[in-house]
Amino acid sequence: MPRIVNVVLVLSLVGAAWNNSKAASPVRVIATTTVVADLVEQVGGDLVAVESLMADGVDPHSYRATPRDIDRLIRADLIVANGLHLEGKLAELLERIGRKRPFVAVGNAVPKDELLSIGNDLFDPHIWFDAKLWSYCPSTVADALSQLDSKAALHYRQRAEKYSKDLLELDKNVRRKFKKIPQQRRVLITAHDAFRYFGRAYGLEVIGVQGTSTESEAGLADMNQLVELVVQREIPAVFVETSVSDRNVTALIEGAAARGHSVRLGGRLYSDALGPAGGGGDTLEGALLSNVDTIIGALRATSTSQRIVE
Amino acid sequence: MIHLAVAIAFLPYNTLVVAAGVAAVGCAAGVIGTFGVLRKRALVGDAAAHATLVGVACALLLTGQRDLAVLLVGGLLSAMVAIVLLVLIRKFTRTRDDAATAIVLSVSFGLGITLISGMVSRGIPGSGGLERFLLGHTASLTATDALLLGTVSVVGVLCIVVGLKEATMVAFDPDFAAAAGWPAATLDLVLIALIAVMVVVGLPAAGAVLVTALVVIPPAVARQWTERLVPMLVIAGAVGLLSALGGVVLSSLAVQVPTGPVVVLVATAFLILSILVAPCRGILWRTRSVSGLSSVSLTKTEVGAATPRVMERKL
Ligand SMILES: [Zn+2]
Repeated sequence: MPRIVNVVLVLSLVGAAWNNSKAASPVRVIATTTVVADLVEQVGGDLVAVESLMADGVDPHSYRATPRDIDRLIRADLIVANGLHLEGKLAELLERIGRKRPFVAVGNAVPKDELLSIGNDLFDPHIWFDAKLWSYCPSTVADALSQLDSKAALHYRQRAEKYSKDLLELDKNVRRKFKKIPQQRRVLITAHDAFRYFGRAYGLEVIGVQGTSTESEAGLADMNQLVELVVQREIPAVFVETSVSDRNVTALIEGAAARGHSVRLGGRLYSDALGPAGGGGDTLEGALLSNVDTIIGALRATSTSQRIVE
Repeated sequence: MIHLAVAIAFLPYNTLVVAAGVAAVGCAAGVIGTFGVLRKRALVGDAAAHATLVGVACALLLTGQRDLAVLLVGGLLSAMVAIVLLVLIRKFTRTRDDAATAIVLSVSFGLGITLISGMVSRGIPGSGGLERFLLGHTASLTATDALLLGTVSVVGVLCIVVGLKEATMVAFDPDFAAAAGWPAATLDLVLIALIAVMVVVGLPAAGAVLVTALVVIPPAVARQWTERLVPMLVIAGAVGLLSALGGVVLSSLAVQVPTGPVVVLVATAFLILSILVAPCRGILWRTRSVSGLSSVSLTKTEVGAATPRVMERKL
């Protein structure tokens, strides 16, 4: 009889140890893009282990899941996506896995009336470079993490609140920076329409050479119109994006040059993906500030040279 | 003529660049593709186009660059390997032409896609969306692209002009050519390789499906109008050229119209028109001369079987 008691005791001890180690191991989260991964990391801190399904510099609109990805998704404790059809080719898969596994699409946290419609009940998914819109998202991540790891619920909520506040502060900061650029110079031309929220928030007119998704091809007439616009309005610089091919922008610069207007390559902007770890653009805050500095640098440099000419 | 010059001078720069590049490809693809169509190997170009993916992926892996020239060289190499495989399969197995083409096409395409998705999931920079290499980006061709396309097109057409006699023999009657002591197998390979080069170089201008169409449709149009080789080459080249120019100009009239597909639509319009009204072969013609004139027997003449002797005499 005592032997049985011993066995039970040992077993329960092992069980307790098992439970403890489980509680100590971080929540494994798979985020679809690097932008979403950064959000989860900001909210979860040390208590989560986040991986991004897509590496940095990958275009989420055209990304297709590999069998290894499906494996990673199924094994994760929590799946976090941007949603709003950013992950165009993954949407169906995410929906199917999301029915069985804990799943959040952070884009759903943004109030519908603050989203930009792109027709057919679809909304522009590029919400992250409007820091104010993005500040809606941390709390949903905190809720999802709390459901999995209720003991740390307070930790998640505090971090989410802090991060939302940081984002609002960043928002004000960026607004202040753009005040220095005269209104008529505030035009942002890039390879695809990833910056419409950004433009709306910070007072820039945004024109994409491609459509909202990188899947749509620019037509020749669109290209000609854009060249016309750049020449007419004497736009000083156009920008390329880290995760999108810069062919369209190159053709645009060439077309304007043929009309005697030299438009410069203003620099490379982070759009659908953040930069590699360790670089300045590996967090959303870093990438946003880097974009703002690139844009202001390019637009302001020419506005001073313009003044010298005048 | 002056009117035309004035009209061209007023076209926007980008339209001119795209028109020049696509017209060169259209013309050369028509000329070179004629041999593919005559040898009933219309889809060789398609196989070559899809085989580029493997090379494109390898080029990115090896160099770490996503430069168009680098990718093109890689794509060209793997397309060549695929073509050689195609010829070998045909020579050493009893597989039929179309089956061999289908095998090479699907295997190489599958391999390419697998390679790319493997690279993407390992986070290799620049590998995302690499398969879109096959789609082309007609509207954003630059002057450098157009120059490259033009050069390759001219060289390709020159090859045909210089080797017209040999090409004709091999295209119409390979057995006869071999019996007469020609290096038929080598010439055949060269012809196929030319088609492959044309397709690969045309990829950025039109994309895989469209450039394949440019290799097939203009020669098909030309065959409706003539059964003699040289006129066929001229007509195919002209149809390719006109489809390209027409497609580019049409697509530049309205926004959000992709250029490549419009070019192929124009070429298809030529084909439909030809099938209806071409002399001898055209449907309208045939219904009119139903009484059994010489035209009927002419349409039944198989180019591949009957014309080589005629050709020989002409050359
Ligand atoms: Zn995007």
